[in-house]
Amino acid sequence: MMEVLQAVSVFFLYAVTAVFAQNAVFSRAMGVSRLVKLLDDPTVDTLVFGGLLCLIQLLAAPLAYFANGALQTVSVWQAVRPLVFLGCSTVAFFVVLVVLLAVWGAKARPVVAVLPMATFNTAVLGLLLITTTQSFTLLETMGFALGSGVGYLLAVLVVAEGQRKLRHTQMPASLRGLPITLIYIGILALAIYGFTGHRISIG
Amino acid sequence: MNSKKARYLSENMDWIARRDRILLNNPVIMQGMGLAPLVVAATNANNALMLSVAVLLLLTPTRVFAAVLSQMVRHRLRALLYCGVSAVLYIPVYYALRFFFDVDILLLGVYLPMLVVEPLMIKRYEHPIPEKVSKAFVKGLRTSIGYVLVLMLMGCMRELLGSAALFGTPIEKLYFPLLPMANLPAGGFILLGLVCAAWRGTVRAYKRYVHTEAKRGL
Repeated sequence: MMEVLQAVSVFFLYAVTAVFAQNAVFSRAMGVSRLVKLLDDPTVDTLVFGGLLCLIQLLAAPLAYFANGALQTVSVWQAVRPLVFLGCSTVAFFVVLVVLLAVWGAKARPVVAVLPMATFNTAVLGLLLITTTQSFTLLETMGFALGSGVGYLLAVLVVAEGQRKLRHTQMPASLRGLPITLIYIGILALAIYGFTGHRISIG
Repeated sequence: MNSKKARYLSENMDWIARRDRILLNNPVIMQGMGLAPLVVAATNANNALMLSVAVLLLLTPTRVFAAVLSQMVRHRLRALLYCGVSAVLYIPVYYALRFFFDVDILLLGVYLPMLVVEPLMIKRYEHPIPEKVSKAFVKGLRTSIGYVLVLMLMGCMRELLGSAALFGTPIEKLYFPLLPMANLPAGGFILLGLVCAAWRGTVRAYKRYVHTEAKRGL
């Protein structure tokens, strides 16, 4: 019983860490280019994108964990790592695609259109690289993957909410759009340092 | 500016700006691409230089090879194609970087392998029509130069402000770091936001100047 409770607590500890203290966007800037595009793209539903990202991360993370375990002693591992992890993301991509088409059929088309951008981005590959580089256990990897996806979604929602204020007409023309969004994310990242302290999370 | 040149620039400004990936339509400043390595890894000029070489070696070949292969692949699978080509090309690029910079490339952490899925490399897959090879080559080169320009600018600025040094050499006239926060991701976001604002303001002022000169000539 204690072992189960301990495992659950480790899972949630890593998930919560990934959501707040090690947020993919605010502390590591992962997927921030995609986030900036999402804010200006009315055709992509933020929640759908975030949900798909979580799913892809949850499916790809254990695959990357086992691939890293099997291949990390190979001499060319550092060079082929992105290719192998991209393979893991691709497997997750096709699993989600098949499930979506099997459950919703043609109705899933708008969701399927978002799937490539939710799969092939720096947030997903960055997560796989971090969890393997930092030698997380499988449980820690799964917790971090879930938390990272939720953290990304949270970041998108927080920045999107801020956009409503940032589009004020009194905002100087040069600052409108990308510049003020970056400054806003920077200030939010400073707030995150309240949890983590001042350090560069280059991973 | 002579009135003939001003009139030509004024009439074709949109077309010129669309083609220019270095100053008028820089991929970072105008489209917000390639932000992750720029904000977190490019904290000093040396890191920026390593990232620049990586981008120069990776971006144009990725676009060219992907343009060749995308003629044979359905639009839905083109994202996979662009990422796959980029990840395969990363293998020789990694060894080239090891040759040039040795273990220093480890300072870039996960941000070096992450380049393979940067929107800067793969964003072209979103267009339904495959890109022509010659166009992919030219645009790839222009985008690389534009990105390298911002990378080096940010790397040098952050090292100067955050460590009072340049390429690891302390600047004697700067007795203390003016903005230690510049070394952190938060500082990177804020500084890049300010650079973006200044750059965009300058572009806007230049366009206004060209249009005014053209009107004056008439």
